[in-house]
Amino acid sequence: MTAVAIPAFTVQRARPPWLRGPSLIGIISLATWLLVAVTLPLWSPHTPTEVVGGRLLGPSWSHLMGTDALGRDVFIRALYGSRISLPVAAIVIISAVLVGTIVGAAAGFLGGWVDAVLMRAVDITMAFPPILLAMAITASLGPGIRNVLIAMVLVWWPIYARLLRAQVIAVRQREYVDSAVAIGMSRGLILRRYVLPMAYTPVLVNATVDFGQVVLLTASLSFIGLGARPPSPEWGAMIFEGATNFYQWWIAAAPGIAILLVVLAFNFVGDALRDTFDVKDLGR
Amino acid sequence: MSRIAGSTRRSGFARRTMALALAAAMVIAACSSDAKNTKTSTAETTSASAAGSTAGSTAGSTGGSTTAPSSGAALVIARGMDINSLDPSRAYCDTCQIFMTAVYETLIGLDPKDNTTLEPRLATKWESNTAQTEFTFTLDPKAKFADGTPVTSADVKFSWERLQGLQGSSSYLVSRIKTIDTPDPGTVKVTLSAANSAFLAQVNASYLGIVNAKLATTNGATADPTTDKAEPWFLANSAGSGPFALESYASGSELRLKRNDAYWGAKPAFPEVIIKETPQAVTQRQQLEQGGVDIAMQISSDVAKGMSGPDITVKQVKSFNFVYLALSPGAKGGEKLTPQVREAIRLALDYKGLVEVTVGGAGQSQPSPIPNGFLGTEGLSPPAQNVDKAKQLLSAAGVTSLTLDATYPSLNVYGVDFSTAMQKVQTDLKAVGITLELNPVEIAVWADKIGKDGIPVTMLYFAPDHIDPSQYAQYFGLLPKSQWQTWTKADAVPAETDLLDQAFAAQDLKARGALYTKLANAMIADQIIIPIVNPDLFLASRSDIKGIHYSTCCNLDLSRLTRG
Repeated sequence: MTAVAIPAFTVQRARPPWLRGPSLIGIISLATWLLVAVTLPLWSPHTPTEVVGGRLLGPSWSHLMGTDALGRDVFIRALYGSRISLPVAAIVIISAVLVGTIVGAAAGFLGGWVDAVLMRAVDITMAFPPILLAMAITASLGPGIRNVLIAMVLVWWPIYARLLRAQVIAVRQREYVDSAVAIGMSRGLILRRYVLPMAYTPVLVNATVDFGQVVLLTASLSFIGLGARPPSPEWGAMIFEGATNFYQWWIAAAPGIAILLVVLAFNFVGDALRDTFDVKDLGR
Repeated sequence: MSRIAGSTRRSGFARRTMALALAAAMVIAACSSDAKNTKTSTAETTSASAAGSTAGSTAGSTGGSTTAPSSGAALVIARGMDINSLDPSRAYCDTCQIFMTAVYETLIGLDPKDNTTLEPRLATKWESNTAQTEFTFTLDPKAKFADGTPVTSADVKFSWERLQGLQGSSSYLVSRIKTIDTPDPGTVKVTLSAANSAFLAQVNASYLGIVNAKLATTNGATADPTTDKAEPWFLANSAGSGPFALESYASGSELRLKRNDAYWGAKPAFPEVIIKETPQAVTQRQQLEQGGVDIAMQISSDVAKGMSGPDITVKQVKSFNFVYLALSPGAKGGEKLTPQVREAIRLALDYKGLVEVTVGGAGQSQPSPIPNGFLGTEGLSPPAQNVDKAKQLLSAAGVTSLTLDATYPSLNVYGVDFSTAMQKVQTDLKAVGITLELNPVEIAVWADKIGKDGIPVTMLYFAPDHIDPSQYAQYFGLLPKSQWQTWTKADAVPAETDLLDQAFAAQDLKARGALYTKLANAMIADQIIIPIVNPDLFLASRSDIKGIHYSTCCNLDLSRLTRG
């Protein structure tokens, strides 16, 4: 009998989808933006409101994206814009997820009239185009980033409420939930221990994708004068300044590129997470 | 610049593509500028002493019913329209001046050659008594309204009494009229409650245009604001004797005027004039370069640079317009704006920097609310920054840090972007420890707020209504119930009323000039109105458009424009 030599080979563990290709680029990009946003005041040569030279100077080695109508460094202002847009996006998404979770979980788990009432509120809110609703709310509250935050949370929470409700309804029909009910566990405990952990993955994936959309909407509201007030280096407000000085293209280009990079990064990461967890878009 | 895409969740790719296309379009547009074919005439100036005329009794006649060379197609003008009303007794805005001049004629006109000399229009001659309390106008018997009705003294009486009665923003111009007598259809005799040597200049203001009384009253016009119902009618119709008549008006879109073919004077060259709502200077430039409009009226100096096209002309014209900062001690939140603090604010401002930042140096600083070039402004010292003294004043006033609401209309006027100007003001005041909370709002929101609570620090603009400096005292001075005395809720200053009365009563030009200098200094001492910049105007047009000029009383006289 002849011994058969089995060729030796090594099993290479494939990297998960969210650590490959565009997603990796997105993660690196986001990490860089976060690092910039956190550390900028430590190394930035200028503050965002500091007049650093002549007005409307084109890009140069001294000022990579030129200066604006007041002689402020556009590149530095665009970087400082990340200290507004990223925290705003984080606060909006976290708040919307919290509100949406409470409403969606209550509607899906309790059912009945609670579900009917809460879901009609969701339906009504989602019947309005998000940008119009955000504009209306901000206009009635008054311009300013704080009111933009409130408006966007009010616009965004129904997405998560609807998403979570659908997940909760699916999970609560599983046998282990019935078992928990049978042994007399409280509803709250069942919800926290057995339902929400199983229902939450799609919410997290959608939240990642929505970060980019919130950045866009914040900029949109500032662009039309409802968001950040001068001299804030918020990206939408900077693009509006660029529109006023249209022929000095760099004023709008810098915040435009910043928005592009951040939104692309969130979308890359979000898409990869969606693929990884095979989540269908159940929000809108 | 288009708006950033919205937030629907399923169109991420489209949005990203649009963002890239937007950035590319901006770069391409910016690179396409080419200045070599642009004709630019700079330093064309208006009269340096516009306000000196006391135009006594003058006889003359209008030029008969000749017709200017026909200019075929409609004249299209791009400008941001600030129209508040098209009712001649309520309208009060820069665009209103153009409209009023085109549609409603005044008794007295202004010679465009010098912006100083009063000339006959509906009135062939006028005279006054020595005390300047009685004025008699003789109307041109040829004058008639667009419907063929003759212009009579009854129409003048109705128009001015209605202007007085409705108490609109321009009513101050006729506030001293006591009685209007009409001894015959061709004679108007006006008696004033007090001497007014500026009355003829005020009669030249476009807002004193004459309305067809019969037509207006038929459509609900009265002199009583509680019974007058004509304002909606005036939005779609006109009742004037001018070279044009209202064709249509769509708020936020366009104002169309059609030639008054029955005009009794020299008929205008253009059969139609369309003023397109185009708020942004950049868009005005683009539309002019692309051939969509004939005139762009509100080009800023930055936008004017590098304007391209083989047949585009840009005129840089001195103007009497100005943008100013207003401080309101009586406003809610403005309680700490004491005279010392207001003076500190005035001294803290970098005036040269403001002219540079707002209009790229294409303008001047202005010492007082009476613009440079008006009677009485010759010897005034230009405003100067003195940060040390500003800090001393604040320290003496016990103010170590002060935060003030600075709500202002989000406007771009005369090439001045208010947000840019206010950010510069904010920077200057921060250096002396004053923090401005900038709050740009729509003009309607601004008007509502300043009318109710007032606004501690704000910004606005002004274009002259006529050629006499009295208007500035009447609008900006702390006279009882003047516009800014009302808005700032500051105490009235009786000395300014006395000075204005003396100026109105003065017969001698030099004496009037000296009194207006005193008034200018008094308004500087008020520290309520702080002029920021007196910008040059950039009038861009197709080179074949002739007759473009800046008029002190009337902005732009459309009837003088021709093509070719």
